[in-house]
Amino acid sequence: MAKKKKTSWIVWLRRLTQMGFFLLFCYLFLQTVYHPINKAGRGVTFFFNLDPLVALNSWLASHAFVGAMLLSLVTLAVTFICGRWFCGWVCPFGALHNFFTSLRSGRAKQKLEVGGYNQWQKAKYYALVAFLVAALVGADVVGWLDPFSFFFRSLSTSIYPAMNKGLVALFTWIYDVNPGVGPVRLTVVTEPIYGFLSKYFLAVGQPYYWGSMLIGTLFITVVALNFFRARFWCRYVCPLGALLGVVGKNPLVRLKKNEEKCNSCRLCLVDCQGGATPDNPLEWKPSECFYCWNCESDCPAQAISFTVSCHSEPFACHSDPAVAGEESPQLAQGKLREPSLRIAEGGNCRDSSPAKVRRAQNDTALRTEAGEKAP
Amino acid sequence: MNPLYKWIGDFVHPPKEARLDLGRRAVLAAGLAGLGAKLLFGIAPQASKRSFNPALIRPPGALPEDEFLARCIRCGECMKVCPTNAIHPAFLEGGVEGVWTPILNMPVGYCDYECNLCSQVCPTHAIRQVDVPEKQKIKIGLAYIDKNRCLPWAYSRTCIVCEEHCPTPKKAIWFEEAEVLNIQGEKLTIKQPRVDPDLCIGCGICETKCPVKGQAAVRVTSVGETRNPENQILLSSDSFAEG
Repeated sequence: MAKKKKTSWIVWLRRLTQMGFFLLFCYLFLQTVYHPINKAGRGVTFFFNLDPLVALNSWLASHAFVGAMLLSLVTLAVTFICGRWFCGWVCPFGALHNFFTSLRSGRAKQKLEVGGYNQWQKAKYYALVAFLVAALVGADVVGWLDPFSFFFRSLSTSIYPAMNKGLVALFTWIYDVNPGVGPVRLTVVTEPIYGFLSKYFLAVGQPYYWGSMLIGTLFITVVALNFFRARFWCRYVCPLGALLGVVGKNPLVRLKKNEEKCNSCRLCLVDCQGGATPDNPLEWKPSECFYCWNCESDCPAQAISFTVSCHSEPFACHSDPAVAGEESPQLAQGKLREPSLRIAEGGNCRDSSPAKVRRAQNDTALRTEAGEKAP
Repeated sequence: MNPLYKWIGDFVHPPKEARLDLGRRAVLAAGLAGLGAKLLFGIAPQASKRSFNPALIRPPGALPEDEFLARCIRCGECMKVCPTNAIHPAFLEGGVEGVWTPILNMPVGYCDYECNLCSQVCPTHAIRQVDVPEKQKIKIGLAYIDKNRCLPWAYSRTCIVCEEHCPTPKKAIWFEEAEVLNIQGEKLTIKQPRVDPDLCIGCGICETKCPVKGQAAVRVTSVGETRNPENQILLSSDSFAEG
């Protein structure tokens, strides 16, 4: 295996952005309380206003449109032109899944086996269609699975009250026991922390909610599923992701792979968050890509980049209507075969360890075989 | 060809990798599932406008039930912001369609007379924006006295808690002084609470504060709610005039 490259600066920028939006979400969540006199925090519905799924559904179901939801048009426009960045860079629920996905253990090989595109990723599109049709005939139940509704509801009725209860119990217990030596007691440290928390984090009174067990269990299940598949919710469930996938299925920012440099190591697939098949630009699925830049960052040969282009390589803006018109499987296979052949010949391959060349040769044999089968 | 034209053209006739390949039949099936769900929601008794769940008490400013369900996204903003912890996610009180929509749980909290925060934060205006004076006139339900549990009614003991907490300018709970006999056969004058259905807004503070625990002796149900003209306890004064 090639040595792991240093994480690209754009991945760090993405992480920073995600953390920023996640913290903003948490801040707005904590601001959703009583402020004197009789004011809720300002702008607490910001993320719901960004959500085109909410806007579309409630418009379809009730033929009414809340002015602030015009903000969701920005999301739609960006997605339409640039692709599904929202999921990878903005969505705080996505950031949470991203975080838990990164906690997965396991070797790259194991991740590779489950990391690729899966037919079940279409499930979210079917859910979207079902929700939209139901909304069209007047039943707006998209909130069950809308990511911001799901996240906020789970936090407000389940996770936050539980945290509140736990923290208060912990600090009360420390206060009661108050271990220490002589005048040096633990409360000297914990009481200022408790004071800070009760000012900025804890609820005024312990909240209780009906049905919090069900909502909390669902939330924890969804988070735990990240250990089963990377960003399980975003890949298989999220109807907002599906909507953005449909809108951004033909973006101008596209994955481009330099076939000369690629050594078919498939490392790009290991940390792919969306299962977007970055290893093969012909199969790359913009609808599943979160533009997380992991593939670009992980590529030891620096063969992957994202460029502004109207079309995937190698059909980029094909001007020949005779070729562009047909499916041209020969061309596709020809292009696929090329780099592997080069590796086998020991050509432009950066990392030409014996194992790699052997594997490339196997690859070539397989692909040549497939190529020969084609007419 | 101009790349921009090409890009636009791809939306009309997408190339292979830009297609989602969802399959016509599967998409149709998904659409039918959505349609079927609506049809099944539609035959739940509460959709008939003749059957009302007394526990389905919506926050003040909530739209009529059909419109409310068409807008509410079950986000929990109102549940978070409610300063008295009165708003809870419903389970089946509003049918399957209403799972996780907000309802008021008076044994835990009441609707504060001076507060309209839920209407401030609702992102889809399923709870429409009402200012406090307007909100104070909206009936979200109606209180009723359980004479079998109420201290003055059932046990001939003095209690005026519900009347003291009632927030309306003219109290919706009033007393009828009654002469009753205690176990020794002595005459007692007891104030027996009653609810005026014209004044009561169903805020539920009487239920929350009632000293009879477990099941309060004064409870609120959804009947009489302003948003729903069919769910009323009284014939309107017009119909009296006609009758």
